[in-house]
This record gives sequence, C-alpha cells and structure tokens, in this order.
Amino acid sequence: MVKIADKVEEEIRAIFSGDTPWVTIVWDDPVNLQTYVVYVFMELFGYSKARATELMLQVHNDGKAIVSTGSREEMEHDVARLHEYGLWATLQRGDQL
Amino acid sequence: MTTTEGFKRHGNHSYIVQFASSEKEVLLNLCEQIIELLAERVDHGHEDPLAAMVGITSHDSPPEDEVLHRLLPNAYADQVDASEFRRYTESTLRAKKQAHAIAMRIHLKSSDDGIVDLDHDSANAWLGAINDIRLALGVRLKVENNSNEHLELLSPDDPLRGVYAVYTWMGWLQETLLSALIDDVDEDEESQLGNS
Repeated sequence: MVKIADKVEEEIRAIFSGDTPWVTIVWDDPVNLQTYVVYVFMELFGYSKARATELMLQVHNDGKAIVSTGSREEMEHDVARLHEYGLWATLQRGDQL
Repeated sequence: MTTTEGFKRHGNHSYIVQFASSEKEVLLNLCEQIIELLAERVDHGHEDPLAAMVGITSHDSPPEDEVLHRLLPNAYADQVDASEFRRYTESTLRAKKQAHAIAMRIHLKSSDDGIVDLDHDSANAWLGAINDIRLALGVRLKVENNSNEHLELLSPDDPLRGVYAVYTWMGWLQETLLSALIDDVDEDEESQLGNS
C-alpha cells in the first residue's frame, strides 16, 4: 500500500512540477532512404553516426523509435524540425507509451 | 551531354554536381510542382490578416490530398492536440519546405553549364527538397516497405513507369549527396577525436 501511495504522490508531484517527460517518436516510412534518416538524426540532434544508425535501424525493424526526450515544448520543436526534413514524427507524454 | 555522375565532394564542405540539360529541366519541373502544391494549401483570402502575420492559419485539420498530408503530417496521435499544433505551426512548415524547393530552383536556374556547387546549408536545403519530391512521388506510386513488385512490373506504355524511373533516380541522386556529406562528418568526428 505504502508503495502505491508513494508512486501516486510522485506522479502528482511530477504533474504539478511539469517534470513529466515527453518523447519524440519517429515512425517507419517506406520512402525515406536509410542513409537520409541517419544523416537527419546526426544533423538535427548532433548524434554520432553510430548512435544515429542504431536509431534508424530501430525505426526500420520495430516500426518506430524514441529519438529525443524532454519538455513538451522541446519535443514540439524537434517534431517540427523532423517534419521540415520529411521524417514522419509525433510527440507524446513519456508515461503514456 | 552525358548524364550526371551525381554529387562529389569538392574540398571541405563543398559539394559539386553537373547535370545534363534534360536532367536540369526535370529537376526544375519537380521543384516548381512542389512549390505550387504547397501554395495550393494557402487559403485564398479567407485568412485573418492579423493571425496570418503571426503564423496562425485557419487550418486545423490535415490536408485531404494524400501527398500534402504526407508533407504536412499530424504531430500528435490525439486529434485535438494535432489540430491545435497545426493551427500554430503549419504555415511555418509550409514556408520552410517551399524555401528548400525555391533554393534548389534558384541554384539550377542560375547555372548555365549545369554545374551546381553547394555549401553545407544549401546541401541541406537540397536534401529536404529532394526528399519532399520523393515523398510526393512515393505517395502517388503507392511505394511500400517490403514489395514494390507492382512498380517493377509496370508495362512500358504505363505513364507510372516513367514516374517510377524519376523516383529511383532522385533516390540515387540524394544518396550521392548524402555520402559526400557523411564523408565530411566522418572526418570532422575523427579530427575531434584526435584533438581530445
């Protein structure tokens, strides 16, 4: 019981403090070239080629991948930049995955 | 004139390509079509001028046209959040995509000999524009992840066969620019490692 109450309290604190992390998700797309997706991840997020490749493969194999985490405003900014470069991206609350 | 060999690295952060005049015409035509398609989405005189000034549009639902929908997708799975986000951001997204295609068009137009020399930023604009063209063609061709047999087996008199040829050529062209760009990034990463 105590444990559950602690979790609820923690959640409520997170909601009011605005700490709940949001995530940016990139979805698999049949048109975008793999090399292009890797390059966009490197260019927009400053990821290394190895990290960008890992994320691209996750998108390709699992159908989606979380590419960034942060506040809602930050994730809206990331999604807008991904849309500018034609990647299929959405954002959502990290606790509703 | 022979057909292009694609983009090549030309010194640091410079990428050069030479197009045959027929190739240049095809690319110009595609740029113009993307620019026009995005312009179609703008309301004709129905916008609140004040709202338009700060980038707010009356669009809160996604475009009905399949291609425009792919170019201007929803940012949220939730429809209410998606509409709200679209109202405040779609015109900016449209303007950025148009700017990429316009940059590509200007580079092509201002080249007499078909040679285009790009720096890092203009290379990114080209990548974005080429990608939007590929997305548009891909939607019309119904490109799928696993099997594109319906496209490989098009009969020679099917007009989509030509469209598919352009689509694959654009993919190849984008790949040549990407490999030139990624070579540069690799060298930058290596030199950073060397310095640390």
